[in-house]
Amino acid sequence: MNYLLTTLTKKQEVDSMIRDTIDKVLVLCFGRASDSIFLQLDEILYKSVREVSKFATVALVDIDSDDVQVYVKYFDITLIPSTVFFFNAHHMKMDCGSADHTKWVGTFLRKQDFLDVVEAIYRGAMKGKLIVTCPLPPDRIPKFHLLYEDV
Amino acid sequence: MPIQNPNPNKKKKKHSNQDDDEDDTVQGKQRTQFEFCKACRLNHNQGRRHIYFPNHKKALSSFLSRFQSKLKNDVAFYLKKPMPLRPEHAALNRLWCVFCDFDILESDSSFACSGNAIAHLASAEHLKGVKSFLWKYGGGMDRMDSFRISESDFTKWEKKCKLLKSEAAGGGSHGSLIGPLNDIHNESKSEYVNSFDKNKLDCLTSDVKCSNSVVPLQDHTIERSQISHSKICTVGPQILHAGTGVGLGARTPNGLPGFFGNQHYTHSVPKEGPAYSCPNDGKQVYSYEGIAIGDRHSQGTSSEESRLQSLQNLTQISSSAQENGGGNVHSGAPPPWFSAAEKIQLDNKLNQGLGDLVSSLGEQMKTSKLNPKRVGAAWAERRKIELELEKRGELVRHDFGADWLPNFGRVWQSGSRKDSRKEFLGENKTWRKVDSQIEKPSQFQPYISKRMRTDNTAE
Repeated sequence: MNYLLTTLTKKQEVDSMIRDTIDKVLVLCFGRASDSIFLQLDEILYKSVREVSKFATVALVDIDSDDVQVYVKYFDITLIPSTVFFFNAHHMKMDCGSADHTKWVGTFLRKQDFLDVVEAIYRGAMKGKLIVTCPLPPDRIPKFHLLYEDV
Repeated sequence: MPIQNPNPNKKKKKHSNQDDDEDDTVQGKQRTQFEFCKACRLNHNQGRRHIYFPNHKKALSSFLSRFQSKLKNDVAFYLKKPMPLRPEHAALNRLWCVFCDFDILESDSSFACSGNAIAHLASAEHLKGVKSFLWKYGGGMDRMDSFRISESDFTKWEKKCKLLKSEAAGGGSHGSLIGPLNDIHNESKSEYVNSFDKNKLDCLTSDVKCSNSVVPLQDHTIERSQISHSKICTVGPQILHAGTGVGLGARTPNGLPGFFGNQHYTHSVPKEGPAYSCPNDGKQVYSYEGIAIGDRHSQGTSSEESRLQSLQNLTQISSSAQENGGGNVHSGAPPPWFSAAEKIQLDNKLNQGLGDLVSSLGEQMKTSKLNPKRVGAAWAERRKIELELEKRGELVRHDFGADWLPNFGRVWQSGSRKDSRKEFLGENKTWRKVDSQIEKPSQFQPYISKRMRTDNTAE
């Protein structure tokens, strides 16, 4: 798709992306191109990529490709779009008030929200924190029900 | 809560305290055992909590900084420049080691000033003491090295002391003769003596230094530079040359002009013997010493060959030097080593300076740019090096296995992230096994009804 950001379809591509992003936040968004919410998320990301380029890299991952299914399982992705944050090949968690701290589920309501989130992740990572708290007020965070394990 | 008598002993330590343990009634979290904190100088029963109190932290920092300034001012100075210790001053030079709780006296120190203190600060017991102190009072274990002397520094200092000793021993007898001469002479002599102990590098630097400061006394300097040049090459046989050269020198006074070709000297093959020229009184003494020292070291080496060699070398030098038309002491030209030495010195300084600059800049840049405590810092550094090597083409890019997974903390995770990865891999394996098992019965067989089957079996 031309109007999407760099979409990764192979595990090896994802691996190299993770390993080659040094001292920058890596934003990996898992989703399906046909999903409207994913497209909205992509729109916001596309607008912010350049502004964030000095401290973050953004990439999309197509969930439907077979190669990437390992990651889908590893990151426990059940709802799309899901965004996972990495810093120096370490996974960054964010506490947004929901039960799942490991990823960001859903889209961002505004471009500024996305920028705030990435900035918070970057600041926390530079200080050596693996988990950060979300700077957004709860009304701006998309809600979802997390499926419990073994369900 | 029963309050026990605070222990008046200053040196009470937690682990060595046996009596109070029996009386101790641990109620809740607070221990009733009193300890003395050396930094705050107060008895407290807060146990390990005490070290985190802000008052204690303040007291500790001032305490350590006081001791550290003492170390810096006194000990560090003498570490770099050991000076002979006079017995009358010995009584003043004491150091109380706060970590080991004992007073280091200078009573029996034949070494230079504060020898006992330096020896103690470099010792293993002191290191233990420092460690335990820092652990007990929460000083920060990374500061350990600022309170002790490393082995390398200590060995350097010991060497210096030995040199001083030997210098003192050797220089004592000739002090009266050499006194009226310049300090330069003394300095050069000490360097001559020192050359037997130090390695080549030291010789070089000392040579550069002494030759640089030597301009007015040109005759002396020739000798000295020659001697030191000979030192650079080899120590053993050259000293022999020095020893035997006296006689030679007396015979070949014409050798003098030859030695202005010091440029040749530096480039020429190491076995050149120095020739000793004019029988000046001071020089005689000087070269006399040369013999003495040469004798000391000449045991076991053959003399004839080296003598012949030195003779041969002498003639070679003189011929080549005479060919060289430019500049003589007699013509008044500046000595060739002066400009050369200046260049060498400058270069050395520059290189050192540059090297220091570069390294310090690099360090500064590193530390100012990125926090070393950031997430994945170690990994990032390694990866940067890897990438750089790949760029240069030195390191062949080795692809990580298809099974590489990043560091991820799972959603319902209890335990570290490594555990979660292992868990996942374990689950993955079971999944794969299941898949393969499903695949095995791939042969599809047509449905045979029971009646048909029974008919078959019956038949």
